[in-house]
Amino acid sequence: MELLDRYLQAVKKHLPWERQDDIVAELKANLEAQLEDKEAELGRPLTKEEMEAWIQQLGSPLLVAARYGPQRHLIGPALFPIYWYLLRLVIGWTTLIYLIAKTVEIGAKGLSGHAVLDAALRLPGIWLINAAVVTLIFAVVEAAGARFPGRYIPFAPMSPVWLPAALPPLAKSAGERPRSFAKALAEVIFGWLLLAWLLLVPRHPYLLLGPGAWVLASLPYKLAPVWWPYYWMLVAIQVFELAWSSWELARGTWQRPRRVRPLITHTMGLASLAILLSAPDHALFLLKNPAADAAAHGAALASLNKGLTGALALAAAIVALQLVWSVGKMGAETYRKRRAAQ
Amino acid sequence: MTLPESLFENLRLELRRGCLTLAVLAQLKQERYGYTLRKALAARGMEIDENTLYPLLRRLEAQGLLTSEWREEDKRNKRFYRLSSEGEEMFAWLLKEWNEINTAITNLL
Repeated sequence: MELLDRYLQAVKKHLPWERQDDIVAELKANLEAQLEDKEAELGRPLTKEEMEAWIQQLGSPLLVAARYGPQRHLIGPALFPIYWYLLRLVIGWTTLIYLIAKTVEIGAKGLSGHAVLDAALRLPGIWLINAAVVTLIFAVVEAAGARFPGRYIPFAPMSPVWLPAALPPLAKSAGERPRSFAKALAEVIFGWLLLAWLLLVPRHPYLLLGPGAWVLASLPYKLAPVWWPYYWMLVAIQVFELAWSSWELARGTWQRPRRVRPLITHTMGLASLAILLSAPDHALFLLKNPAADAAAHGAALASLNKGLTGALALAAAIVALQLVWSVGKMGAETYRKRRAAQ
Repeated sequence: MTLPESLFENLRLELRRGCLTLAVLAQLKQERYGYTLRKALAARGMEIDENTLYPLLRRLEAQGLLTSEWREEDKRNKRFYRLSSEGEEMFAWLLKEWNEINTAITNLL
């Protein structure tokens, strides 16, 4: 009996304090009755070894006490799908808002590696804080729901509201509707025309700006030299697209879904924006006659360059996000196909 | 324990979990305390580990399905449980559900 009392004392230590005595008294009555039955069967008291073996079989005090615990999860299965959905939503929107805000800030203050690194390093902390806040709210809701079941926490109305009629139309997968030959041919023809137009723009700017070309010529500003490598990068992108489309047409593979090509185009687009953002002192426009016009137009020019750099940084961030999204989507698709094939 | 064995054990426990509640409610139409309830269930082929049964009785009582009282029997204080009126109602619903599942599974096999 002494061993049983020691066992119950050990169990008690781990029980919820407000019910310790009640639970232990009940457990003691049940186990003593069980022990009496065992001894009646044997016709003698249990030996020390038999008693130890029986107590051992009852389970460790910690685990026995744990079964009487009120709740063993932070967020239960009923609430978890809503929690997980909202957590992803919050993290996604927070990231987007943060990236836009940081891009604008960096664009306004001037692009530097330190600023970009600092913004990137702060992001995990922001994720963590948001995840902690959402988790805490749901843990409180869960705990309240467990304490007052079905009384104060209306779980059902918390499910996201949805209407069958508002469901989005069926998504067409890339391979579902292959491009027609006419569309592929039109792409090549218009691609050549676009390239020709692009190559003519430097000599005939009115092709791009219309009458604005003559207005621009009368202004005291001119394009900075950094626009030339940017221009040639645009030409390279167009040549790449055209070569790819022509090659597909020649090989008869225009119906195949395009997966890698958009990634390359996005990367080249990002590189072209990076060229502009790397302009010395972010000077995208210069004065035609700095000595004569600096006093009158210098401030306006600085403001123009600053605004334009901010806008370009924002565009670069959006293109980078698109690129990350495309790569992630492609990776997830590949993984899913591999899993399905297993 | 190999993977199929441990998987079987998990699925078996999952399958038994709901049945245990039904079995306990069925046996508590008549007042019993923990150990005699365990013996009664075992005698009818439903073995339940004490670490599962005793906390389960507490939970069912907290949910309002059982009532309990401390009483002396054989010179020992024991906690006797029996179905509450809500428990009786719940037992009828669960039994109906159990019978429907049982019929469905029988039809499927």
